[in-house]
Order: sequence, then structure tokens, then C-alpha cells
Amino acid sequence: MKRAIMHSTRFFVAMALFGLATLFVPAAQALTCSVTPDNIPITFTYHGAQLAVTGQSASTDDLIVTITSEPVDTALKNYEKVGGLVWMKKGTLEFKDAPRVYLLSSTADLSRILDAAELNRNLLGFDALREHIRIEDSKGNPADGKWFDEYLKFKKQENVYDMREGAIVRQHGENGNTYRVDVAWPYQAPPGVYTVNVLAVRNGKVVERASADIEVKSTGMVAALSKMAFDQAGLYGIMAVIVALLAGLGVGAIFKKGGGSH
Amino acid sequence: MYMYLPIALTSVNYLVVMGLGLSVGLLSGLFGVGGGFLMTPLLMMVGIPPTIAAATDANQIVAASASGTISHWRLGNVDFKMGLYLLIGGFAGGAGGVQVIKLLRATGGADFLIKMTYVVMLGLVGSFMFVESLNAMRKSKKASATAAPAAAPKEKKGGFFAALPMQTYFEKSGVTHSALVPLFLGTFVGVLAAIMGVGGGFLMVPVMIYMLRMPMHVVVGTSLFQILFTCIEVTYLQAYSNHTVDFILAIILLVGSVFGAQIGTVLGRKLHGDQLKILLSIIVLAVTVKIVLELVMEPSILLSYAGGH
Repeated sequence: MKRAIMHSTRFFVAMALFGLATLFVPAAQALTCSVTPDNIPITFTYHGAQLAVTGQSASTDDLIVTITSEPVDTALKNYEKVGGLVWMKKGTLEFKDAPRVYLLSSTADLSRILDAAELNRNLLGFDALREHIRIEDSKGNPADGKWFDEYLKFKKQENVYDMREGAIVRQHGENGNTYRVDVAWPYQAPPGVYTVNVLAVRNGKVVERASADIEVKSTGMVAALSKMAFDQAGLYGIMAVIVALLAGLGVGAIFKKGGGSH
Repeated sequence: MYMYLPIALTSVNYLVVMGLGLSVGLLSGLFGVGGGFLMTPLLMMVGIPPTIAAATDANQIVAASASGTISHWRLGNVDFKMGLYLLIGGFAGGAGGVQVIKLLRATGGADFLIKMTYVVMLGLVGSFMFVESLNAMRKSKKASATAAPAAAPKEKKGGFFAALPMQTYFEKSGVTHSALVPLFLGTFVGVLAAIMGVGGGFLMVPVMIYMLRMPMHVVVGTSLFQILFTCIEVTYLQAYSNHTVDFILAIILLVGSVFGAQIGTVLGRKLHGDQLKILLSIIVLAVTVKIVLELVMEPSILLSYAGGH
């Protein structure tokens, strides 16, 4: 009797495991997303990182990967021609609801994957950002659209905005249909938490989404110094002055000993 | 090769930054200028945000000018008395200048006027120095038969300056002035420096040569002495109020600049006062041309972070 119960228990466990397994391997492969590394420590030698965004997806779907931050308001000075002759920083423009970082990769040209309305709705591509980001002057009036082009140039120069259409590589192997895109993470991106979003598109519609987070964080002396600069600003200022003075006087003394100046 | 900067939040090639420090430190040791006017835009070119570039530059000038001051002091080229008067004036002028700029900005359109005035002043000072030292060099060539060492510029006593009270003899410089003169000139340069957001060395050095009539070598040492204290004040205030001093960037820069300042001092000893003046005037004119070009040419990107010069 006892043995029969044990047998039936084993049977149910086996069935449950089988059921779970089938859940993870559905007929149309579920979209997954992982990023390596998902933790980027900032040390003194940090000069950006090489990221790999990988996962599984249905073989016929188009994919779009974005890496973005929470939207923030950014104030920048704008140059204008003064007196018809000289260029000067004249006013301040506020770029509202703009992500600090916007890196997009896709399996094909965005315009071939989704129509403009869908791209806008999902905030995909620079044209969608143009519709989304509000630009205001210091008095709160909406600014000319040309400033978005300048904003884009500014961000691209900092390597924090980039679009690479067709950069996602697909593979079909034993592990099913996988995708991969390598992203050069710019050192100009400030520390913070960033989100990797993957969208699967079928017949002009977004059918699936998956996401992962990346944390970029100062560590060790870099973290200690930046904390000190803000939390103990007076002490930090004194330290900066004393170290500079000692270095100046020290090298002055070395030169005297070495006979450099005499 | 690369180093991450905790306050600037960017990574730089430290060899390039050290090189920048070395070249600007060299100018500092040679001419007694802080070189902020050159260094801040150079740092911006390597990706440092303007406010951090300007504040951190002040920090490295502390090191370069300490290095330069000590070697000039050993050579007997620092007029501490004159330096102190200029410094007191400079501090007062700096504080006043900050208020003036607030008033001017409130009226609007003042930036244009300030920048143009500065360009015209630098241009005039540079041209005047160039012509004057060229003439002096020609004269000294003619007089070279006598092999007399170039004498300190003759003290021009007379008129308004001589009539002022508190006449004092400045031994190191070999000149007599009313204490009010360096105080006033220090204040004047201080106001301008605060308005322009620069140390003021490019104006202070010509002021000492032509208005205070100090010998060129003493001008360099005394200017460095004065810059040292101004930059200590600026570094502390920037670190305390604005959190814009990047300690690591400053260290990389000063490794270059302290050696540059020493080399500059050695080189300076090998040059005559007039040769130094003509070189400085060329640099002042080059800086003027650079500012004019920057003003006239359309920037490639019409947006920028706040701050800088």
C-alpha cells in the first residue's frame, strides 16, 4: 500500500515537472532578454564596457532592442547670433522628458518593421523622440523644432544616443532561435539604472516584450571621492588645495636638489 | 592610458591631459600667467564639462604657481609687498565683480558687451606690448656695444600717480608708488577677471610691466605669487559651493604643470625681459584671435552645457 502511494507520488511529481517544462518551451518560442554584464562597476580604469544583449525569440519576428534611462529634464545653453556678427551662449533651453541614454538596435530598418504611428507609440527611433521630447525656452515657451536636431547632434557626439538598424544577429541552433546584439556602453553615460527592452514585432504589431536592467555604479575610491565632494565639500576643497600645494612645493624642492633651476 | 574622473563623470587619456598640464605650466613659469584662458577650452575639447574644467583648472594652477613661485622666489624675483597689495585689491575686485556681473546680467545683453570689451582690451594690450618690446629690442641691439645689462624700465614719476598719498618704495621691483595704485589696479583686474571668469594673469602681467613699471622677471614671480592665493580661494569656493573640482583631473594636470612651471622658470632665466615680453605679446594676440574666431564662426553644435568662458 505504502509502495503504491510512493509510486503514485512519483508519477504526479514527474507529471508536474513535465508540465512545467512544457510551459517554458511553448510552440512559438517565448521572448527572453538578458544582458551581460548587468552590473558595470566604475573604477579608475573604467572606459565604458562591452555589453551583449541576448535571448530567445520566434524565428520570424523582427526585434528591436532599446537601452534607455528614466526620462529627465535637461537644461542646455543655446548659441545664437548676436548683433548679426558673433555667436554667443544666449539663453537656456529645457529638454523635457528626455532619456539620458538612448541606444537602439534592430533586426532591420525601423521603417520596414513598424509604421510611424506604432514607432511613436512605443517611442522607437529618433523621429519618435522628436515627437516626445518637449523643448522650452527659459520663459516656458515651446522652442523651434531645429533645436531637436542640435540636441541629437549633442547627444550623438557624447555617444549616448545611437541607432544601429540591422545590428541584431540571429542564430538558429540546438537551443532554439536566439538573438544577440553587442553594444558599446559609453563611458559618458552617468551612473544609474538603465533598462534594456526587447520588442518582438509580427505583421506590423508589437506582439511580445521582455526586459532586463543594467546597473552602472561607482565603486571603491571613485565612489568615495564623489561622495566626499558632495557630503564633505569643505574638507574636499581643503584636501584639493593642500595636495596641489604639496605637489607644487615638492616638485620645486626636487628641482632644487637636482640642480634643475640652479 | 585612460582614467575615470569621479566628478566630471567621464574618462580621459591621462597622457594627453598631463601633456596639456605640461604646456600650460610652461607658460605659467615663463610669463607668470595662470593659463586658465587656454586650459579651460582645452579641457572642454577632451570632454570635460565647462564648469568642472574651469574649477579644476584653478586647482591645478595652485600647484603650478606654487612650483613657479618657489623657484622664482629663490631667484629673488618675487616682490611680496607689491604682490600683497595687488592681492588685497584682487580679492576686493573679485568679490565686487561678481556683484557687478549679476547687475549687468539682469539688464540683459551685457554678455556681448563684456566679451567685446575684453577682446578689444586683450588686442590692444597685446599689440602695444608687441610694438613696445620690438622697439626696445632694436634699441638694445644698437646699444649692445656698451654691453650694459638691460636696465629696469625707468620709473615715470609725475602727474596723478606721484600726487597720491601713501607713497611706498617697493625694494624688489625698485619702484616707488602710492600703495593705492597697486590696490586700485588689483581691484580693476579682479573685477574684470570675475566678470570674464578667468584668473586675470593676461591683464595683470601687462599692468605690472607698464603701469607699475616693474622689471619683467620680478613681474613673473610676483604674478605667480598673487595667482597662487587667488586660485587657492577659487578652488576652495568652487569645491565648497558648486562641487565642481575634480580632484583626480587636477592631480593628472598638476603632474604635468608643476614640471612645466619649473622648465618655464629655467627657460625664462635664459631670455631677456624684452624677449619674454614679445613672446607673451604674441601669445596674448593669439588668444585674442582665437576668441574672435570663436565668436565669429558658427559652432558645429549650437548647444552646450552651462559654464566655461
